[in-house]
Order: sequence, then C-alpha cells, then structure tokens
Amino acid sequence: MSTPALFGKSRVLEAQIDEFLDKVAEGGIYFQRGIELLLEQGVVGETERKLEQLIALKERANELRRAVVNTLYSEMLIPDFRGDVLRLLSHLYGLLDATKNGFQELLIGYHEAIAGAAAVVEVKSLVAVVAQSLQEAVLGARAFFRRPEAVRDHINLIRVYEAEADAIALRLKKALFASERPLDRKLLARDALAVIDGLADRAEEISDELSILAIKRVL
Amino acid sequence: MASLVFLSSGLFLGWTLGANDASNVFGSAVGSRMLRFSTAALLCSLFVVIGAVTAGAGAAGGLGELGTINALAGAFTTALGAAITMTWMTRAGLPASTTQAVVGAIVGWNWFSGSITDLSQLARIVATWVLSPLLAALFAAGLHRLAVAAIRRSRPHLLRLDANIRLGLILAGVFGSYSLGANNIGNVMGVFVNASPFGELHVAGLVSLSGEQQLFLLGGIAIAVGVYTYSRRVMMTVGGSLMTLSPLAALVVVVANALVLFVFSSPQLSALAVSLGLPPIPLIPVSSSQAVIGAVLGIGLLQGSRGVRQIRWGVLGRIASGWLTTPVIAALVSFVLLFVVQNVFGQQVYRPVAYQLSPPALVRLAEVRIPTEALAMDRQPVVGALRFRSLLRRQARLEPAQEQRLLQIAEIRPLSIHPQGLEALEAGSLPPAYRQAVAELAGRSFLHPWQLADALAARSPLWSLPQGAPAAARKRLDARLAVVLDTFSVSPPSPRAPAGPAALRAA
Repeated sequence: MSTPALFGKSRVLEAQIDEFLDKVAEGGIYFQRGIELLLEQGVVGETERKLEQLIALKERANELRRAVVNTLYSEMLIPDFRGDVLRLLSHLYGLLDATKNGFQELLIGYHEAIAGAAAVVEVKSLVAVVAQSLQEAVLGARAFFRRPEAVRDHINLIRVYEAEADAIALRLKKALFASERPLDRKLLARDALAVIDGLADRAEEISDELSILAIKRVL
Repeated sequence: MASLVFLSSGLFLGWTLGANDASNVFGSAVGSRMLRFSTAALLCSLFVVIGAVTAGAGAAGGLGELGTINALAGAFTTALGAAITMTWMTRAGLPASTTQAVVGAIVGWNWFSGSITDLSQLARIVATWVLSPLLAALFAAGLHRLAVAAIRRSRPHLLRLDANIRLGLILAGVFGSYSLGANNIGNVMGVFVNASPFGELHVAGLVSLSGEQQLFLLGGIAIAVGVYTYSRRVMMTVGGSLMTLSPLAALVVVVANALVLFVFSSPQLSALAVSLGLPPIPLIPVSSSQAVIGAVLGIGLLQGSRGVRQIRWGVLGRIASGWLTTPVIAALVSFVLLFVVQNVFGQQVYRPVAYQLSPPALVRLAEVRIPTEALAMDRQPVVGALRFRSLLRRQARLEPAQEQRLLQIAEIRPLSIHPQGLEALEAGSLPPAYRQAVAELAGRSFLHPWQLADALAARSPLWSLPQGAPAAARKRLDARLAVVLDTFSVSPPSPRAPAGPAALRAA
C-alpha cells in the first residue's frame, strides 16, 4: 500500500515509530512479569506464555523497524536525522531482542538457579529496577522525537537505575557465594543475575546514544 | 531582430543571475535533498517570471534614476560590461554581485556619455548594499527566535517538524523566487527600459503587456533558462554548505532573504512606510547572495560567543571589499566597451542630450519659482548634461532639486508634428484616443519636450494626470510621451556623436 503524500506519509511513520516504541516498552513489562512468575511458580504454562508474547513482540517490532527505515530512505525524509533514527531504532530493537533472549535463557537453562532462590525479594527488586531502566530508555527515545530538551531527564534516570541494578546484583552475588549452595548452582545463579543485570547495561548504552542525539536535536 | 541582438547581453546577464541566484532561494532545499531539483527549477522559473512581469517595475525604476540609458546599443554595452565583470570576477574567485556590477556599469555609461550621475540616488543604492545584509541578519535572528519558541511550545514530532520545514522551504522558495524576479529583473533589464524596442501588446483582448513588461518577461525567461541549465550544480554546492545550519535555520535564511528582496521591490510597502511617517523605502535591486550571508550571520550572532567564533570573518571582509571593487571594475569595463562599440563598430551608444536656456525655458523656470535673475539666455544649445551643469554653476548656485528641475526644463529636443510621423503612429501601439490629441497638433513645432507634453495635456485630459496619481500611471504616460517624442524628433541623433569623453574634456 502506497503512503499518501507529504503529511500523510509523516503521520503513518509517526504511528509506526510510536507502535515500535510501545512494543519495546511492552517487552520490559512481559520480562518483569515473566521473571516474577518464574520465581513464584517455576516453569508453568503462564511463564511460557510470556516467552511467546515476547517472541511475537520482537517479530512485530522488527517489521516496524524495517518499514520505518525503508520509508525514511525511499521518501528522503528527515535527511539530517535519518542515520540517527536508524541507529536508535536498531539499538532499541537490540534491547528488545536481548530481553527476549535473556528470558528464554533463564527459562531454559537457569530456571533451577532462579527458582526457589533464597533472596526472591531481592531478585524481584533487581528485575523491577532493570525493567524501569528499559521503560526510561523508551521514554527517552519518545522524548527525542517530540521533546528533545526532556531527553536529559530520562538519561539521568537510566543511569541511576543501571547503577542501582549493579548494586543489587553485587549484593545478591556476595550473598550467593557466602551461602552453602553447591558451586555449580552458585555459578549458574551468578550467570542468571548477569543476564538480568546486562539488560540495564544495554539501556545505559542507549542513554549514551540519546545524549548525543539530544544535543543535535535541541534547537 | 536587431533589437533582440542588442538585448542579448541583458539575456546573458539574466542567465547568469538565474544560474547563480536561484541557489539562494532553493539551494538549501535541493542541496539537503528535501526537494527534487526538477520541482525546485519549475517553481523557481515560474515565480521569477511572475515576479518580474507583475512587480518588476519598482526596483527597475531605482536603477533608471541612476542613469537614463537612451540608446539600445548603449544598454547592450552596459549590460555586457556588467556581465563580463561578473564572469571575470567569479572566475577569479572574487566575490561579485550582479547589482553592484550593473550599478558600476551604469555609472560607466554616465561617465562616457557626459550624463550626470545622481549622487543622492547612488548614495541610496550604496546604502542598500550595507542595509540589505543587516536587514537580513535582523530578520533571520527574529524569525529564528520566533520559530524556536513556536516549536518549543507546540512540540511537534520530529517527522511532523520535518514535513512542516519541507513545506516551508517550498513556500519560502516560491516567495523568494517571486521577490527575486520582482527585485533583480531591474539588474537584468533595467538598463534597457528607456531604450525598449517594444510597444504595448494586447493578447486576444485579455492580457495587456506594456513594453517594459515585455522586456521583463524576456528577462524572466532568461533567468528561468539559467535556473534550468546551470543552477543545479550551484544549488548542490551552496545548499551543501548551508546545511551546516539546521534545516530550520536554512528555512529562516531563505525567508529572510525573500523578505529583504520583497522590502526593496514593493511600492506598496514603501507607500505604507511613508503613510506611517517613515522615510520611503528605496526601491532598488539588492544582492540576494549578500542578503543570504547576512541572514546566516544573524543566526550565528544569535548563538552568542559560540556563534561568533563560527563566523568566518575573512569571508565577510572579502564580501565587503566586493562592494568597492565590483562597481569600480564594472564602470571601467563598461567605459572601455562603450568606447569600442562606438568607435570600432560605429554604433550609437547614447543619444546626445542638448540643453538650452531658451526664452520659453526661462519663463517656465520663473513659473516654477526657480530664481532666473542670475541666468543668461543661451544662444546655442549645449550638448551634454555635465557640460551644461558646469556652465550653469558658473552663473548661479542652485539647490540640487532646483538644479535637477532646471535640467529637465532646459533639455531640448526639437520636434515637428509631421504627417509621416502621424502615419507611423497609426501603425504603432499608441491607443487611438491618445493619437487623436497628437493629430490635433499637426504642423506645430516644439523645442522642449515639456512644451509638447503641455500642448497634449491641453488637448486631451488623457495626456494629463492629477497631482498624486499612482507612479505606475505616470510611468505609463511617460512611456507614451516617449513614443511621440521618438517619432517626431526633427534631428535624429547622429550615430557617432562627438560628445562622450571629448565632451567631458571640454567641460
């Protein structure tokens, strides 16, 4: 379907970008809810449904990303920001992909390390902080498109959440290795924590990208 | 056909203007690939022609006041002098402006023909060279502030903002093209206005084009050809360098440039300024390239010390030096070319104008309250305005305005309303009602053009205008009177007048 001229094209693209950002934000929520289910109930049908939802989200986000980039280049829109938008969408897509992959790995390989963890509350708070950093990355990207001067606030929050996630992960790892668990379980649990904490690091990478883009965008 | 050959230098000048200056209105849009070249070229050509034909008279008149080039070969040579200066300076990598080249070339013609250069008009023109970049800088700074505040308030999506800027660039480009046509056609065809080979043209009783408008149409088409054939490369270069600005800043630059061109070409705006008690805006062709540079500077200065550091002051110095070098070089080139065309090719490059303080002229001067006590009657006509003024100043010191009025009254052009001339008028473009009044004067002779004008006004109200009549109506009537004067001149000007440099020496 060909897009209508000038303003029509822009509106369609705006809607596509908004939908793409919605999918990334939804990914963060499903990830958090999925880990909570994993911690509380183990690998059950509901937990696996979260993985399916994440896979569907990722596929739709990929379609949207391709469509946006194609239109931007074929219609010669935002010539000075095309490359930046392409890079930002790719990073956000990478974050969603990492979220899905992380949850998939936790579900397949690490569920035993996570399930019945001694510090369930601490792990849940780690996941909550990581999910917040994801949401802030999405909000920062939205601000880049509409209110570039507000990007700075979101960047700051991402950095705070990432630092908090690192602190919680460190506490959890120390407690883990101080426990009486077998070494193989300790290593498995440590890797599971690294997978969760790694998502906040990716969100921070996006914040670095956003800080440069925001400077370019501010009038 | 010969007329078209003479117009060719003006058309060449128009082509160079289209090739170079179209980039000032559509360069940023095409260079940033926000608009296709074919769309930009079509819009630019169309609106340059519309601007030239409908609103070109204002600024073209501004150059006419500087020097009244009264022979077609002279107009050809003057335009050629300006075009050669432009080409040479551009090739040498020196900053050049068509406006400044044309002004210099006209001064060169005045110098060669022994005509008086209106220094007050020259001062006004020079003032606009400084004023137009300053005004563009002010417009750009103000517009940029307003645009940024509006965007911060409405918070449009990046894509919506892009679409709006794209539309803005198209609209600003259209406005800029119209203003470019209206303002800069004076550069291209201004020198031909007083030597126009065209009469009035009526197309199917629907469209009526004066001789001046036909000239401007031709000039507009020449500019359009320049846009289509050569502006692409310039647009890509200028647009590319302009894109160091944000797209919003590029849009602001184009709008500021268009506004400056519009300000210096709109009689309505000038009349509004007068009605508000302000001095009239001089209607003079200004350089769009310099307006663009002024606008970029305005945006740079708006950013404070960061912006000031980014400005290349050396480039600004080179541009300012162009204000001096371009007109001087053009005046010299024009003078040399006029000498060659007159003496090598035997063409009449100016019609010698003679002056005489005849009894009727002295009476007329007394009527308009110019002191005549110290003035002696001239037994013989004096050829050349400079020489006549020099002789006059030995007798009396008059106010500049009185001196100018005296020159108008003392100008002689012996006329005889003869049957052959009346027949020639029948075939011309003069409307029948106007011809009737001329026919009633059959057999009469006049020494001064104003005597004919008075006699015609006494015969028919069509030949007189009330006080405060619109400038356009006055220009139309002057053009009709010029047709009658040309038709009934008793002694047609000699092809090789002895005046020129010789007259200068005598003066």
